[in-house]
Amino acid sequence: MAVKYYWEDFTPGRVFETATRTLSEEDIVRFAREYDPQTYHTDAEAARHSPFGGLIASGWQTAAVGMRLMCDNYLLETSCVGSPGLEELRWLKPVRPGDTLRLRSTVIESTPSGKQPNRGTVLFRWEILNQNGEVTLSMLGRQLFLRRAPAQLAPDAS
Amino acid sequence: MSYKYFWEDFYPGQVREIGGYSLSEEEIIEFAGKYDPQPFHTDGEKAKQSFFGGLIASGWQTASLCMRMLCDLYLLEAASLGSPGVDELRWVKPVRPGDTLRLKTTVLETRASASRPDMGMVRHRSEVYNQHGELVMHMSGVGMFRRRSPGE
Repeated sequence: MAVKYYWEDFTPGRVFETATRTLSEEDIVRFAREYDPQTYHTDAEAARHSPFGGLIASGWQTAAVGMRLMCDNYLLETSCVGSPGLEELRWLKPVRPGDTLRLRSTVIESTPSGKQPNRGTVLFRWEILNQNGEVTLSMLGRQLFLRRAPAQLAPDAS
Repeated sequence: MSYKYFWEDFYPGQVREIGGYSLSEEEIIEFAGKYDPQPFHTDGEKAKQSFFGGLIASGWQTASLCMRMLCDLYLLEAASLGSPGVDELRWVKPVRPGDTLRLKTTVLETRASASRPDMGMVRHRSEVYNQHGELVMHMSGVGMFRRRSPGE
């Protein structure tokens, strides 16, 4: 796939809004059985008696859905070469069967690599919203991108 | 179900470990196809030409497997009330097909809830290692648990 966005295109303040995806009860239970088999994620009946009052998605599935929305919206058309990690991740509201999620990605800061002239780091605020516009998950994380034009190295002072 | 672990059963410095969780190429591609379809997670051939030199697991799959290990280690037997979030999650090294992962989790801090006398928080640092003993991922997370005896 042709690269549309390089490091230079992620300027602070730029916002990407994705399409939506709806999570069914079946999606929630299937993910949870494999990765997070706590009963309020796997068993609707048991979940009713839990502190959440009903089935909720694993927070890791919500984050993963955000990743998928990002891929489909713009990430697959970028020069992304991975992520070193997240500064913070907050699960603010439970995600329930039938909820329709979308991702809002905001560029917070952009930093050229100190060591590699062909890449840079971008710090994003990633928010996953439900159909009522409520933020269910909020993250602050970094991704690495190749540059369109490698930085000029400082001339050798010697 | 009767719980084995309540908030009082966690103390700073407590270490728990579990291992033997493998990821196959098929599992990596299946997860990535659903949640993270970047070619270095979904296509062995394209991955070979990528920066990573071969197929690697989505970091979200490694994090999800870390969650599974926490579940099997103690969460399924704990009076868990969920988690507000994690801090400083780092994907340190790629996870590749056939890697076998192990979790080491250490309790950093426990704190009674100021607003709910029946609840307490536990902060832990969780580290995921591969079969060579290399650290592949770590994070600092918080779990909320019911107390065996509510505070004043």
